[in-house]
Amino acid sequence: MRLLRQPGIIVSGLIILLTVAVMLFPGVFATHDPFEGVAVDRLQGPNGTYFFGTDHLGRDLYSRVVYGAFLSLASAGTAVLVGVVVGAVVGLLSGFVGGRVDFVIMRFVDVLIAVPSILLALIVVASLGFGPWSVALGVGLGATGSFTRIMRSQVVRVRNEEYVEAARTLGVRWPSILFSHILPNSARPVIAYAALELGTAILAVSALSFLGFGAQPPEPEWGALVSAGRDFVSTAWWLSVIPGFVILVIVLAVNRLARAIGENK
Amino acid sequence: MTHNLLTVTGLTVDYTSRSGTTHAVRGVDFAVPRGAIVAIVGESGSGKSTISQAIVRSLAEGGKLVGGAIEFDGRDLAMLPERALRSIRGKEIGFVPQDPSNSLNPLLKVGEQIAETLRLHTKLSKTDAAAEAVRILDEVGIPNAAARAGQYPHELSGGMKQRVLIGIAWACTPKLVIADEPTSALDVTVQRHVLDRIELLAREHGTSVLLVTHDLAVAADRADQIIVMQRGLVVETGTAAEVLGSPKHEYTRELVAAAPGLSSTRLVAREVNIASDALTLGFGAPAVHDTPNILEVEHLTKTFVLKSAGVATSFTAADDVSFQIPRGSTFSIVGESGSGKTTTARMVARIASADSGSIRFDDDDISDITGDALRQLRRRIQVVYQNPFGSLDPTMSVTRIVTEPLRAFHIGSKAQRAETARALLSAVRLDPDLAERRPTQLSGGQRQRVAIARALALGPELLVLDEPVSALDVSVQEQILQLLVDLQAEFGLSYLFISHDLGVIRQVSDHIAVMKLGRMIEQGPARIVMANPAEQYTRELLEAIPGRRSA
Amino acid sequence: MKSAGTPPNRFVVALRYLAPKIVQFVFVIWATYTVTFLLIHLLPGDPLLAALSVKGGDATTTDPEALEVLRAQYGLDGSLWQQYWGHLVQALQGDLGTSIATGQPVGDMISRALPNTAAVAVLALVLGVLSSIVITYFAYVTRWSWVRNTLLQIPPLGVAIPAFLSGLVLVSVFAFGLDLFPSSGSRSPLSIVLPAITLALPVGAIFFQVFSAAVLEAMASPYVFTATAKGLAPRTIFLRHVLRNSLLPSITILGLLIGYLAGGTAVVETVFSRDGIGRLTVDAVLARDSNVIQGIIIVVALVYSVVNLLVDLSYGVIDPRTRAKLSGRSVARAKDEAAVEA
Repeated sequence: MRLLRQPGIIVSGLIILLTVAVMLFPGVFATHDPFEGVAVDRLQGPNGTYFFGTDHLGRDLYSRVVYGAFLSLASAGTAVLVGVVVGAVVGLLSGFVGGRVDFVIMRFVDVLIAVPSILLALIVVASLGFGPWSVALGVGLGATGSFTRIMRSQVVRVRNEEYVEAARTLGVRWPSILFSHILPNSARPVIAYAALELGTAILAVSALSFLGFGAQPPEPEWGALVSAGRDFVSTAWWLSVIPGFVILVIVLAVNRLARAIGENK
Repeated sequence: MTHNLLTVTGLTVDYTSRSGTTHAVRGVDFAVPRGAIVAIVGESGSGKSTISQAIVRSLAEGGKLVGGAIEFDGRDLAMLPERALRSIRGKEIGFVPQDPSNSLNPLLKVGEQIAETLRLHTKLSKTDAAAEAVRILDEVGIPNAAARAGQYPHELSGGMKQRVLIGIAWACTPKLVIADEPTSALDVTVQRHVLDRIELLAREHGTSVLLVTHDLAVAADRADQIIVMQRGLVVETGTAAEVLGSPKHEYTRELVAAAPGLSSTRLVAREVNIASDALTLGFGAPAVHDTPNILEVEHLTKTFVLKSAGVATSFTAADDVSFQIPRGSTFSIVGESGSGKTTTARMVARIASADSGSIRFDDDDISDITGDALRQLRRRIQVVYQNPFGSLDPTMSVTRIVTEPLRAFHIGSKAQRAETARALLSAVRLDPDLAERRPTQLSGGQRQRVAIARALALGPELLVLDEPVSALDVSVQEQILQLLVDLQAEFGLSYLFISHDLGVIRQVSDHIAVMKLGRMIEQGPARIVMANPAEQYTRELLEAIPGRRSA
Repeated sequence: MKSAGTPPNRFVVALRYLAPKIVQFVFVIWATYTVTFLLIHLLPGDPLLAALSVKGGDATTTDPEALEVLRAQYGLDGSLWQQYWGHLVQALQGDLGTSIATGQPVGDMISRALPNTAAVAVLALVLGVLSSIVITYFAYVTRWSWVRNTLLQIPPLGVAIPAFLSGLVLVSVFAFGLDLFPSSGSRSPLSIVLPAITLALPVGAIFFQVFSAAVLEAMASPYVFTATAKGLAPRTIFLRHVLRNSLLPSITILGLLIGYLAGGTAVVETVFSRDGIGRLTVDAVLARDSNVIQGIIIVVALVYSVVNLLVDLSYGVIDPRTRAKLSGRSVARAKDEAAVEA
């Protein structure tokens, strides 16, 4: 495929594959125990034994990052899944049925979008208690609004296309039209947006963890790692910068692939 | 002073994109004498628009001038630096673009858009330029020029916007004006007036005009010299009389034969290839009654209410329309945009509902039927749409598209339906290898064949065709029209044919009705309406068909 | 034949345009309040007990009478419906209740924190939007494709970089390292610079995506071709023809950007130890202080809705096509006149 010829996409793809592997098999990639530290080796910079250096308890930062991958990324993935599934179903309903139902649903979507997703997530977290899955639910709730809007606008667009009217004149019934025409033609932009949202979700989840609402210590969730490293930013900068940089690279890779999906329909 | 204002030699233009390089123009030579009107005629893909853009060095994204010389008034435009070109564009070479609806900045007043070019190239002050702009608007034939100058583009009609663009092109009295398909987006009667205006301005100011058009008849009417292009190469040049009277190249002969404005006879039916009996799988029982007319429409009326910011205006799209379609014949409705012809067609096909009036199909009143009865009617009345790009689902393969109506009525097994699809595709003369392709991989003409095959699948008796060839290239138009005529003879189909193009209608119709602003102002047998129209408007339409001057 | 009405006078027209928007405005505020209230009260856990236990730990009183008094004090007594109405009526009168954690009126807490946040947010918005426009200008006007390609790589980076990372890096380099800007606090006016830059990166990047897409569309449009054919220079074309046409669709995301900023300040104020709405929210969530959370959400929704309303209004002023639709002038009338050609 022509797609694979661009270097940016190849690199991004490799990064994603590596990330998924690390997520699922942390034991294979880690070099030390992420929870047990060697006090004597505390606050070392990146070197041959400890690739990313050590923290104030002598724990290997590299291994902590490896074990934190699942926590950080799975909750982002869950958030997007929640957003897509709920958003797609509601958006499909709203766009297909139209009329008053559509109007009411879209007004509530306006509200979901009016409240910044981080604040929405915070309300959910405040009520359900801290932890990565509350954060996932909160971020997912915030994303639902956008997905609903996109799905609905696609459904409305397709519903007005000439080939849908042509199908009616050919005697095709509405359920068939929904499944054969409307869904296939609406799906692609939604999927492209889901890929983009993944990057945003990763950032939102790690921001909430940074603020202290996600996984609690000693869980090595990446946002929490950055937060823990704040106290040492002038003496041991790697404690905050490296996990943050890892997040940056992964989000860049995800976004690059998402753009490729969006452009190559 | 040389005789030729513009001499193009060996012009070569490539377009490079992610999918590869296209050689749009492959070594083209031609010349435009001073004060003459030269037309470049070609279909889509001929490279004619690319040439017009290349001359002013404003090629679209990915376009590159890879070779050739463009000698304009002693200078080679191909070699000039960008700065120098900017003083030629607008000042010595004017450009009239194709699409009036989007070629003016929607946020600037119309007068200002003319004044802008004046201020750029002449020493006029702001107030003088504004006054001159008003004078120019008047010169291009816009009534109330002073008031219009203060309006925004969306407040003007298509024809008026095109005139503004003509005004912009002529504002600084250029030596050459390039007009790239200046009338293709306009109504037929408006087209004629706009072309008249261009000719007038050219003669008055002594401007050379390079007219790019797909319509050979238009070129024949207006141009001193015609250049015929095909796939990036010039295939023939000469005066109108030479090119039309004694075309030397095969392609030119094809174009002359196909041009609706130039030919004057109804097409004769030819053989249809019936590959197998599977073709009739979806065909229902033949007609029950034997009334002479398959369709009888009486006093059909439809009114729309437009609400804009709470202000409601009512708009009568169809007003007391009545006509009959004899079995097996083609009844055509011709009219310009807003005439109500499409609304009438949609009411006949029971896609839109009429406010009042009756429709009798095969002696049954179908005006009010709903539910399953309406759905069963669909097997007998089918529709072919204008836009081949919009009426086919881009995610479905050709076979799936053609067999969809069979699936909808649960006709046949999967294997049988596939066999029927093959037979249908063969009947519409579409290469069976294309059966698994998607619409985006087909040309306009191929898609329209698929649409016709789909419409035939259920064996309808009446086909409503809404501008079925308007979006196609001229040579393809002729093929599709011939196909329709052949199918009609083979299957005894009746057609309700809608078009704005009398030239096209002339080739397929038995009966013609003329609609204007919702009313059917004239109808009768085709020969009579064409030869001896009773209404003034019909006469106008006939006169607006390009090619009459040289017919 | 068409029967067009006489064009209504300006006041009526403006009202007809405004009315649905104002109704929507009110609805969004009300619905936000309702949804927030439902989320807080319908999700498991008693808001009062949760807040008190954070405050007092094991020493929290469980005496029902004492709890009742506290409930009344914080407006958490009575049935759900009574609480809902009570808070709503109070809010309409300007009273947003009392904070369970600090005991201060919520309204006061917010009005103290808002200016700090607003200063950073406004500067971030201005920096982000301006830099987007400048980058877009140079990217599309330049004749060298390598410049364009490099410039176009900046926004994806701006989107991907976590605010807490960029904030920390900026603080280490410019505050601790070079000592150019204060590293924390809200006193000195310079203290808004680093936080604003941190937020300007993602805000600018988001704006850039919309704006540059609009510019791309405009550059490829027929009216830009007409402008080129007139002989105008690329700079003039960008400034006179492309810019306005691209800004128009872009300002619709202003509300979205405000929403994003409201969320982003939570992170930035934590990193830079500033007072503001973000810190207030974080503290309120940590303390499970539902009254404060509710108050903040309402204020944010208010700001977001006001901005959207202003954007809608400006469309009516700036875009001549919207103006025309409002006064119901039919374009078709122009067409009738044209039929009478000279």
